[in-house]
Amino acid sequence: MPELRRDPIIGRWVIIARERGKRPSDFVIEKDHTKGGFCPLCPGNENTTPAEVLAYGRPPGSPPNSPNWTLRVVPNKFPALVIEGELDKRGEGMYDKMNGIGAHEVIIDTPDHNQTISRMPVEQLAQVFRAYKDRMVDLKKDLRFKYIIVFKNFGRAAGASLEHSHSQLIALPIVPNRIEEEIKGCLRYYDYKERCVFCDIIRQELSQNIRVVAENREFIAICPFAPRSPFEIWVMPKHHQSFYTSLNEDQLLGLADLFGEVMRRLEKALPGAPYNYMLHTAPLREKPMEYYHWHIEIMPKLTMVAGFEWGTGFYINPIPPEEAARFLREIDLSTGKINVHAA
Amino acid sequence: MATKKKILVVDDEESIQLLYKEELEEEGVEVYSAMSGEEALEAFDESPPDLVILDINMPGMDGIEVLRQMKQKRPDIPVILSSAYPEYKQDLGSWASDDYIVKSFNLDELKASVKKHLKK
Repeated sequence: MPELRRDPIIGRWVIIARERGKRPSDFVIEKDHTKGGFCPLCPGNENTTPAEVLAYGRPPGSPPNSPNWTLRVVPNKFPALVIEGELDKRGEGMYDKMNGIGAHEVIIDTPDHNQTISRMPVEQLAQVFRAYKDRMVDLKKDLRFKYIIVFKNFGRAAGASLEHSHSQLIALPIVPNRIEEEIKGCLRYYDYKERCVFCDIIRQELSQNIRVVAENREFIAICPFAPRSPFEIWVMPKHHQSFYTSLNEDQLLGLADLFGEVMRRLEKALPGAPYNYMLHTAPLREKPMEYYHWHIEIMPKLTMVAGFEWGTGFYINPIPPEEAARFLREIDLSTGKINVHAA
Repeated sequence: MATKKKILVVDDEESIQLLYKEELEEEGVEVYSAMSGEEALEAFDESPPDLVILDINMPGMDGIEVLRQMKQKRPDIPVILSSAYPEYKQDLGSWASDDYIVKSFNLDELKASVKKHLKK
């Protein structure tokens, strides 16, 4: 029988409509074929991107926007929001509006066109996470911005036609509703229990050990209790931390180590599957929050969001998270062998 | 007499091809058209244009793929993406283009971009 499950943070309900015998290998994944042709993100084509705002790895004395970088951050060539100008908040009758001010940047994760997050060496992945932090710290100085979201789209179905590995960052003049909702949910839980809901989730997941995908000393990856999509995964620091930017160098390496492992497991389970990941952290103008916990949500794009989901906010998920976590956990990364099948 | 600049318009809608041809030829350029990505690449090779106006959403090979192949062959030829869908701007495949114009029946923005990139 299908099961309704409630997310303990924002109260969203999902339907776990388990399809008998459905295994990860049964998902039809339309593979993106690697294309040839011109890539604006590759070394040597720096003149086709806007001027960089950050680059790592060039030998000292090298000019900006030249090759020999290991990671590069550039403003989006066709940004969703623009950085110049005033917000000019105003009303139109009962409606509110303001100018579309913001920063929209692209993190070119690697100079290697064929590299992917799941195959990236841990030092390179740590560099990607360091770039997220460095850009957030820099953009926080601009008082017009209230929130920064970092995300990655991988694969055409997840919104990326360019296979060269990249992430995006958008600094916003408002805190998005989705984040507000999450923070309010955390605060409600904290008011009632005086504990962070994410810290409680981590405690319970570690003790139950049925939805844990992987863990190391500092971080844990779980399939959440009420996932919106099959194989949804959350990566979180085990110790309470509300701002992503509080991560130190060791923690960045620890995050890269665990995140890389999770992505390798996902790649073995669902080869070439498109996905999005989103980094949720506390809003820029807040003090450290006892009730909010930064985390990364990984959402493989395996099911269709259609009328029912748009109309109700319910999601239908055919794979219970316990099964997804077990499948991911029991993949032997050295051989790629999958030791378990969904019952 | 100076030869006219040549613009290749790639769009699967004939009405758009005709509109662009009429309006742009008034500006003193020569316009030729292709209905699909495959046809566009053929025309591009046979008679290289001075500028390309390229739709994204086409059956078969889409505009982003056509753009990558054109830029691989001739990075010096400017390509303006012209799509009815502003959300394609979020697709970084569009970065290989020189400009991105959201389709509209008012062609002022497109004409200004054509003028700018033909001058370069």
